[in-house]
Amino acid sequence: MRAAFSDALVRLAKADPNVLLLTGDHGYALFDDFRRECPAQYINAGIAEQNMVGMAAGLARAGFRPFVYGLSAFIPVRVVEQIKLDIAHDGLPVVLIGDGAGFVYSHLGTSHQSTEDIACTRVIPDLAVYSPADRFEVAHCMELAYRANSSVYFRMGKSDRGDVHSAALQARAGQLLAARPGTSRDLAFIATGAMVRTALDIARDSYPEAAVWSVPFIKPVDVDQVAALCRAHRVVVALEEHSVLGGLGSLVAEIAAERAPTRVLRIGVSDRFSQHCGSYEYLLREHGLDRSAVERRIRDFLEGPNAG
Amino acid sequence: MPDFNSKRLRRTVLEMAYAGSTVHIGCAFSIIEILAVLYRRHLRYPGGQPRAEGRDYLVLSKGHGVMAQYACMRELGWLTEGAITGYFTDGSELKGLSDSRVPGLEVTSGSLGHGFSVGAGLALAAKLRGTDQKTYAVVGDGELNEGPIWEGAMFLAHHQLSNFMVIVDENGYQAMGKTSEVLDMGSLQAKFESFGFEVVSVDGHDEAALHAAISQLWSSEISAPKALIAKTVKGKGVPFMENNNMWHYTRLNADTYAQALAAVDGVVA
Repeated sequence: MRAAFSDALVRLAKADPNVLLLTGDHGYALFDDFRRECPAQYINAGIAEQNMVGMAAGLARAGFRPFVYGLSAFIPVRVVEQIKLDIAHDGLPVVLIGDGAGFVYSHLGTSHQSTEDIACTRVIPDLAVYSPADRFEVAHCMELAYRANSSVYFRMGKSDRGDVHSAALQARAGQLLAARPGTSRDLAFIATGAMVRTALDIARDSYPEAAVWSVPFIKPVDVDQVAALCRAHRVVVALEEHSVLGGLGSLVAEIAAERAPTRVLRIGVSDRFSQHCGSYEYLLREHGLDRSAVERRIRDFLEGPNAG
Repeated sequence: MPDFNSKRLRRTVLEMAYAGSTVHIGCAFSIIEILAVLYRRHLRYPGGQPRAEGRDYLVLSKGHGVMAQYACMRELGWLTEGAITGYFTDGSELKGLSDSRVPGLEVTSGSLGHGFSVGAGLALAAKLRGTDQKTYAVVGDGELNEGPIWEGAMFLAHHQLSNFMVIVDENGYQAMGKTSEVLDMGSLQAKFESFGFEVVSVDGHDEAALHAAISQLWSSEISAPKALIAKTVKGKGVPFMENNNMWHYTRLNADTYAQALAAVDGVVA
C-alpha cells in the first residue's frame, strides 16, 4: 500500500512538474524514490506544520499542485484552521496526506494516534475526504485526488493488512466499492480503511451471505448508494479505525436517519483515549476493535433488543 | 494612476467605518502610509488588474486593517462606490477582515499568523518559477505572538527567499493593551535579524522614508528575506484616536465621525 502511494506520487510528479511534495520532516524511507526521481519537487518544510500548510496554499495560488505529507495526528488535526482558511475556503488544489491514521503508532501513545481526523475534516466545506483501504484504492484515490484539482484530505491507516480488491479500480469519486458480494437482506458491512479487512474476514467466516462495501470516499460520498444499502438491509454495520463520533458510522447513520431508517451498528473507537502501550493488535483489543470483539458486538446486536 | 493621498485614504476608512458602524479603525490608520507607498511606488499589477498573472503580492496578514486596503482599492477603481457606502449591508461583498474572494485581497486573514505563511508560499512559487514577482506580507506587532510567523521566518531564511518582505506595523498595541504589557517581544529588529532577515527600521508614517527603506532592501545584494519594521501610531491621523486602544473596538457616532473627518482634513476638531 505504501509502495502504491509512493509509485503514484512519483508518477504524478514526473508527469506534471507543478506537483510538489512538502513534508513536515516525516516519511523517512517512504520518499526515497521521490527524492531520487524528482529532487527539485521535494521540499522538507521542517517540523513546522502550520507554516507548511499555509505555504502550500501560496504555492497552489501560484499554480503549483502541492501534496502535503504528515502523520494524520498532525496533518490534518494540528492544522485544521490552516486547511479551513488558507486552502479549502478557496478550493485550492492541495492534497493533504495524513499517514499512520488510527492506531498505527500503537507504541507511541496518544500524541501519534489519530482517531479524530475524519470528524475534523468532514465538517470543512469544499474539502474532500478520502480513506483508501488497499494498494488499489490508494493508487486510484491518488489519481482522482490529482484530477479533482481541488482540496482533498487523504487518510492512510494501517497499510499491511492485504488487498481487499483483486485488480485495479475504475470507480468514480464518491462510489462505494464492493469488496465482497452478498445476497443477504439481513446484514451488510460498510467499512473504510484498515477495517475493511476485518469486515471481510468476519463476513467470510461468519456471515457468508453478507456483502462488504468499502468506502474510500468519505466525502463527497454517493448518498443515494448509501441510502439504497440502508434500505435493502435490516442491519448495516459500519466499521472504522476512527472515533464513532463524526466518522463513517456517523455518516451512514445520518443518511439512514433521513433517507432510509434502518438499524446502524457503529463499530469504531469509543469516546476514549488509549490507556496502555502495545502492539497494533493489542491496541485494537484495548479498544474492542479486534476481530473477535467486533464479531461479538455484531452477534449481540443482531440478537439483542436493538435489532428490531 | 491615483496618488493614494493619505488624507483621502483616511477619509474613505472613516466613511466605511461610519457607514458600516464597524470597529478596527485604529488598526487601519496605522498602515495607511505603508499601503499608500506600496501601491503608489512598488506594487506591479500588469494591466492594472488585481488578479493579473505575474503581479506582485500584497498579503494583508493583519486582516484587521483591511479598510486601509479597501481605501487603496477604491483609488484604483477596483471597488464600486456602492461597496463603500454599503459597507456591512446585508449581502454585500466586503467583510470586516480580509477575504481572498475579493479581487485585490490575496488571503483570508483575521485569524492571525496565516497570511505570512501563504505569502512565504507565494514567494517560494516565484523563486521556483524564476519570476521577479515580489511578495509583501503586512503583519501587526501583536500578530507576531503567533507561532507560524516564526516557523515561516525560519523557512524563508533557510531558502534565501529574498523576494519576500515582511512589513511589521509596529504600533505598540494589540487588542487588549500594549504589546509590551501583553507579551513583550523586545527588539523586533533584533528578532528578525537573528532569524536571518535583512532588516531596516523606519518611521511608518513618513512616506519618503518608507519608499527609501523599501527600495534599499530590494536593492540589497544579500540573499535574505527582508523585514521592514515600521514604527507607527495606532489611530494615526485623528488625535483623539492616536495611541488610544479604545479605537480598536469603538464605533463612530455622528459627532465623532464629524470630528474625525475634520481632523483628517487638517481642520482643528
